[in-house]
Parts: sequence; structure tokens; C-alpha cells
Amino acid sequence: MIKAKNTTGKRTVDRIVKYFFLSTAVLSASFIFIIAWIILIRGITPFTTDNGGLGTVDLLRFLTGGVWLEGQAFVSTLYGVGFLIVSTLYITFLSLLIAAPVGVLTALFIAKTASKPLARALRTVVETLAAIPSIIYGLFGAGIILKLVYDFSAAIGYQSKGGNSILATALVLALMTIPTITAISEVAIRSVDKTLEEGSLALGASQTQTKFKVVLAAAKSGIFTAIILGVGRALGEATAVSLVAGGRRSGFSFALLDTTSTLTTIMLEGLKETTGIDYDIRFSVGLVLLAVILITNLILNAIKRRVGTIRVKE
Amino acid sequence: MKKIFLILITLFFGGVTIACGNAATTTTAAFNPASNINVYTRDTTSGTRAGFMAGIGFAEAEANDSVLVEGFIIKDNTGILSTMAIDEYGIGYISLSSVNNTVKGLYFEGVAPSEENVINDTYALKRPFMWMIRDTGDYPSIEIEEIVIAFIAFLGTSDGADTIANAGAIALQSSTTWDAIEGDYDVCSQDNSDIVVRFGGSDSIQKVAQALTAAFMPRCGNFVAEHDHTGSGDAYKRTNDPAIKDTSVGKDIAFSSRWFKTTEAVPESQFGQLAWDAIVAIVHLDNPLSNITASDLKAIYNGNIRTWSSLINP
Repeated sequence: MIKAKNTTGKRTVDRIVKYFFLSTAVLSASFIFIIAWIILIRGITPFTTDNGGLGTVDLLRFLTGGVWLEGQAFVSTLYGVGFLIVSTLYITFLSLLIAAPVGVLTALFIAKTASKPLARALRTVVETLAAIPSIIYGLFGAGIILKLVYDFSAAIGYQSKGGNSILATALVLALMTIPTITAISEVAIRSVDKTLEEGSLALGASQTQTKFKVVLAAAKSGIFTAIILGVGRALGEATAVSLVAGGRRSGFSFALLDTTSTLTTIMLEGLKETTGIDYDIRFSVGLVLLAVILITNLILNAIKRRVGTIRVKE
Repeated sequence: MKKIFLILITLFFGGVTIACGNAATTTTAAFNPASNINVYTRDTTSGTRAGFMAGIGFAEAEANDSVLVEGFIIKDNTGILSTMAIDEYGIGYISLSSVNNTVKGLYFEGVAPSEENVINDTYALKRPFMWMIRDTGDYPSIEIEEIVIAFIAFLGTSDGADTIANAGAIALQSSTTWDAIEGDYDVCSQDNSDIVVRFGGSDSIQKVAQALTAAFMPRCGNFVAEHDHTGSGDAYKRTNDPAIKDTSVGKDIAFSSRWFKTTEAVPESQFGQLAWDAIVAIVHLDNPLSNITASDLKAIYNGNIRTWSSLINP
């Protein structure tokens, strides 16, 4: 009797908990839609209204433009983000060029080569690095990396703009993405079946050959996931980047020591003080950024499906 | 393929290491006047930028990036200050209260940038912070009028001056303390927690105004200060323009970060100055330049002067 009573009680509790969980899930999921909706509504305002008598922003010009704003702020509607889309992708690519090899090789070392205590220590270091807020990386960038880049360019005989440059930005982003890439690649590398390695070694392959040709190949899919997350972090970073980018306002530029801007830095600059069209247009830039992130992720996932189909495990 | 990749990585990191080694050992070469001037500015939403551009006779650049020299660098206040400690060939501007010994503050038209010279009105790269109030008897209630009068008296006390200085502006000289004159303002000994006083006008002064009301509220019966800062142009309009002052945007006190114009004339008891906002052009400590004129600054910012040699006489 008592037993039965208990079960009913438990069932009721289970049901309550179930609905409680459901409601939190609905709540958190709905935030995504609310955020996307608000950004969308505000983001398209500059293109659909006359912006309080200033005129409509030309969408095509906006997406392809090489100048952030021609004419006077709060009066002109001649905005353009084309050069920012390009520089955002370019900087992300450059930072990945540094972060991916360093991150993956560090992960390989932690997972396969390092002694157990060393691996544990390194893992803690990497996790700590991944948890450091971006503003701290930004301060490090503004205090140390700018000076290094400035001195480096002076040494090669080029007068840089106080170190504010594409190179400094890519370096700061690389520092930020290395821990993300390392942490996730390390898990992927560690989960590679031991028998695969043993098989490779038994066939006469050296340790190095085994690590590069068997372990990394088997962990390819996981490593790619790590890189996708790294790209996400690099594309969306605003605070740290804005401290070292230099606030370029016009022109496509690929020179490593030239100043730059990204979609995120242009949104952040003056955000707290601006009003009217100059404020609304930042939501439009946000929309463009969301689109860029979405498209990049789709492409990377498509590539990942291609390269990661070989299931070496099992 | 893999081998080539490995070699590339090795070369890359080898290169980075050598570059860092070089950078670390580089000694600061002598200042080379033939170098280009790196021009630093705040973004178009900045009040400091508006004050600086107006002060050097380049008002069209207050909110317009298109008229600035090509290749300018946008940074915030701290960014300009910290970069000027690195970039030997840079020039920027910050508010006087931010200047420290890591940079060189330039004399303006032969006058040293100091608080003393701002208060005795010899240092010219500055703008006044002004207040304006409604006409006697033209307030929503007699208590509001009395609080406003008490607030104006507070501006002239050393307590008010300390608050202004802490908020980054330069207060006028004051001889009395609030404690000494508090007794003259009966309204401040009452409980005013249900009385709302409306503050408005210049958004450049908002920070100072908010600091002042925060300091004054507990001294005057905890009245409620409502801040709505929309620009210097609204200071007169919203307190004294018959067409606007009695609408929903009407204000009890409003501020202006410029002198009032002849079209904004009100009786002498209804307006006054509360502080100065002084701006200093700054360069690297190694820069031999010590004095600069308004016309030179304008020529630097509009691109007519591009190298230091035309400013520095050997």
C-alpha cells in the first residue's frame, strides 16, 4: 500500500519535473527566436523606412560598399560594409592559419606524447586560457602585441600605425582560438582507438608516422569541429579586436601591417553614444554578421562531411 | 604533401621566433622628421572630437570622417593615450584630465596645457560647459524651482568642483563649501523624494551632469534627477523657447558645451558656466615638437601636412 502510494507520488513529481524542464527548454529556445526577430526587424529598418527624412539606405551599396560612411554622421545614409565582410573573413582566415596548427599539435602533444602529470597540467592551462575573457586578451594585445608589431615593422623599415594592424588583430584572435581548438582536438585525438595505433606500429611505422598519418587522420572529424568552433569565436569577437584593429573606415586592404576594421568592431565603436540611423545601421551590420557566420558554418560543415566520412574507428 | 606542410610550419615558427628576437633587441632609433604623421582620432560620436575639431577651426570634421586625412586611425580615449606611448610618429588628442607622463602634451599657440592656464583663460583649445535654467516662476512647481536654484549654488561650491573634476572636466574656482551655504536653501532640508527635476541639453556634459546630480541628490532631500541629454542645441530650446519649453521634452536645467549664441539670449541670472573641458594634442615622448597651432593641427587632420619635417625646424 505504502509502496504504491510512493510510486504515485514519484510519478507526480516526475511529471512536474518533466514539465518544468520542458518550460525551461521552451524559454531558452524562444530567446533565440526573440533575439533573431528583434535584430531582423531593427536591422531592416534603415532599408525600408526613410529614416526620419534622411532617405533609405541602398541595400546593394550597403553590401558591396568600400566606405563605411560617406558624408556627415547622422545626416548621410551612404553606408557600406563590403570591405568589412572581406576583412572579417580575411582576418579569421589568417588567425586560423596560426591557431589551427599550433592548437592541433599542442593537442597531439597533450594526448599522446606528454607524461600523465604534464598532460594534466597542460590540460588545466589550456582550460584556463579558454576561460579568460576576451577583454583580457584585448588588453594584452593593446599593451604587448601592438608594441611588438610596431617594433617588428620598424625593424623591417616600415612605418606602421602604432602597431594597429591586420597582423596584430590576427595574432590576438589566434591567441584566443588556440585554447578552444586545443581543448576540443585533444578530446578527439584521445578517443582514437588504441588498437589502430598499435596496428600501425606493428606494421613498422615510426611513432611520428603513426601520430601524423593514423591518429590525426582518425581524429579528423573532431579536429574539424574544433576548427569550426575556433572560426566561430574569431568571427564574433569584438572587444579584443577593437583594441588592436585601428578603426579603418574605408578601402579593401590585405597588407599585414595596415589598419583594419571588422563587422564587430564597427558595431561596437560609438555604440554607446550614437543615435538615430547611425544606431539602427549597427543592427543591419549585426544581420550581415549573422549571415556571414551562418554561411561560413554551412560551408565548413559541408567540407567536414566530405573529409570526415572515413570512419577509421571500429 | 605532409612533409611540405611540416617544413612550412617549421619555417613559419622559425620566422616568428627570429622576428620576435629582432623586435626585442631593436633600440629606439632617433626621431626621423621625414616620417609620415600617423593621425589618431576619436569616432564621430565623441564629444571630445567635436570639441577638438571646433577648437582647431575644422568644424566640418566634427561628425564627418570623409574630410579627414586618408589613413587616419580611430581609437577611444584610452586607446589614443596608450598608442601614443608606442607610436613615435603619431599625433592624437585627449581631454586634459587624461594626460599623464607617458605622452607629451603639446603647447597650444604657445600656451602650456595646464589646469591653471585653462582657468585663467590663456589656453585656448577648450570649450565651456554652460548651464541654463527656466525663467523665474516658470517651473512646474515652486519646490522644483528652489531645488534648481540650490543646484546652481552647489555648482559653485568646492564640493561641486570636486565632483566636476572627478568626472574629467575642469571646474571653475570656488571659495565656499556646500555645508557653509546649505542653510540658505530650506528646500534641501525637506524630503523631496517625490519631486522630479528634468536635466537635459548637451550629451557631452551628460557624464558630468550625472555625477553632479548623484552628488547633490542626497544633499537635497533625495529629489529625483531625470537625465535626457540630446545636444547643446536643445539647451536653450527646451528651457526657454516658448514653442518647446512647455511640451513633454521641456527641461528645468539644460547644459551646453559651447557659449550660448545671440539667438539664445536669456537674462544673466538664467545661465552661467560650470566648467571647462580642455583638450590636449599629444605626441610620443621622443617627438621634438613642443608647440602647435590651430592651423597646423587642421592641416594635419585634413591632410595638407603629411610629414613631421614641415613642423619641426632642424
